[in-house]
Amino acid sequence: MSVRARDIFKAGLIGDNPVYRQVLGICSALAVTNLLANTLFMCFGVVFTATLTNVTVSLLRRHIPKRVRMIAQVLIIASYVMMVDTLIRALNPDIHRFIGPYVGLIITNCIIMGRAEAFAAQNPPWPSLLDGLACGLGYSLVLIAIALVREPMGFGTLLGIPLPARELWWHSWTIMLMPPGAFFMLAILTWIARSRTGAKETSA
Amino acid sequence: MNRNAPGYVLGFMALLCAVFGAGVATVHYATRDMLAANERLNHNRVVCSAFGLPVEGRAPADYARAMEQALVVATVPDGRGGARSVYRRADADPPVVGFTFWGMGFWDRIEGFAVMTADLETLVRLRFLDHKETPGLGARIEEAAFLDQFEGLRPDWTAAPDRRVMIGPAAPTQAGNRVDAVTGATQTSSALMRFLNEELERLRALDWTSLEFEPLPGSEP
Repeated sequence: MSVRARDIFKAGLIGDNPVYRQVLGICSALAVTNLLANTLFMCFGVVFTATLTNVTVSLLRRHIPKRVRMIAQVLIIASYVMMVDTLIRALNPDIHRFIGPYVGLIITNCIIMGRAEAFAAQNPPWPSLLDGLACGLGYSLVLIAIALVREPMGFGTLLGIPLPARELWWHSWTIMLMPPGAFFMLAILTWIARSRTGAKETSA
Repeated sequence: MNRNAPGYVLGFMALLCAVFGAGVATVHYATRDMLAANERLNHNRVVCSAFGLPVEGRAPADYARAMEQALVVATVPDGRGGARSVYRRADADPPVVGFTFWGMGFWDRIEGFAVMTADLETLVRLRFLDHKETPGLGARIEEAAFLDQFEGLRPDWTAAPDRRVMIGPAAPTQAGNRVDAVTGATQTSSALMRFLNEELERLRALDWTSLEFEPLPGSEP
């Protein structure tokens, strides 16, 4: 991997992580992370859509009329989201019942629109693909980390498998099943991540 | 080429729509058999759950077999110009019938399945086949806390047609035909009450004695 490719990938995953650095995609991060299986399907949807949208926007960047570029990007994103939605509905209808409404909301996920506009519209396809993939994986990293805490604490399971000897020691933290639990986890994760990556706020 | 010329903009967007529309249609076409099978499985699961049928295994064939062994079906007018199925479980005491009901919810169509005693005096169980209500609000109609309230509910046939079953605040609060609405989802609850009552009215108008129930397609003779 070239230096530039590595930089793009590291930025999307860690340095400019879309969730804890850019504070994008928070709605679904809170909504779907009480079960790891739901989270994984949601992450698949975002990675797929972000990557393909970036590549498509990049390929068309010299042809998209400037004044309708946002409409064109939304059309591209919506098409990929509908494909993902259909695939999840076909492959796993049970999970689709829970995350279906949020899959539809990927269309309005700021990460995808933001990266298409800020990066893919100005860069060649290969770096754009890496950027979309990295941002999708960066989003997934945070969601999976939250789900790895919420599901065991809330349901006493991991991917639906009961924790070992849970009847002896485990007690459900109901708050972890509800959106406030996700807020707390996201805040703690953001705190840890930002302190470890050395991010400093500068006053205006 | 001037990329901001109206002709170019219109042509570009038309081409983009055509290409991506074809892409979406292709994915849908390629998965149509899986989608249809999933829909059948969901329907059969809901029907088995609503009738309380014992199902051996979790495979689609297990649900289909459980239905074939326990249920008979009749086709009746749906009151909206079409036809639909009414199921009857012959071995239940008292006999029970099951039917789908649907109507517009807050966002989209809500489709449910209800099982009642054959005299239509008592609701046995209510389940939902499909809905697009808001997660955390209207979508909570699928939760056990809401659904369990319908078990044993007795529609008040002396009340006005839109109040045979009450969902939400009503006096007296302990009435046998009333259940609590979902908090924060008044529109969903009201819509459900409206079209459930409409369905009850249509069912009552049926001439039950003339219905010819037959084994489900695929049943052993």
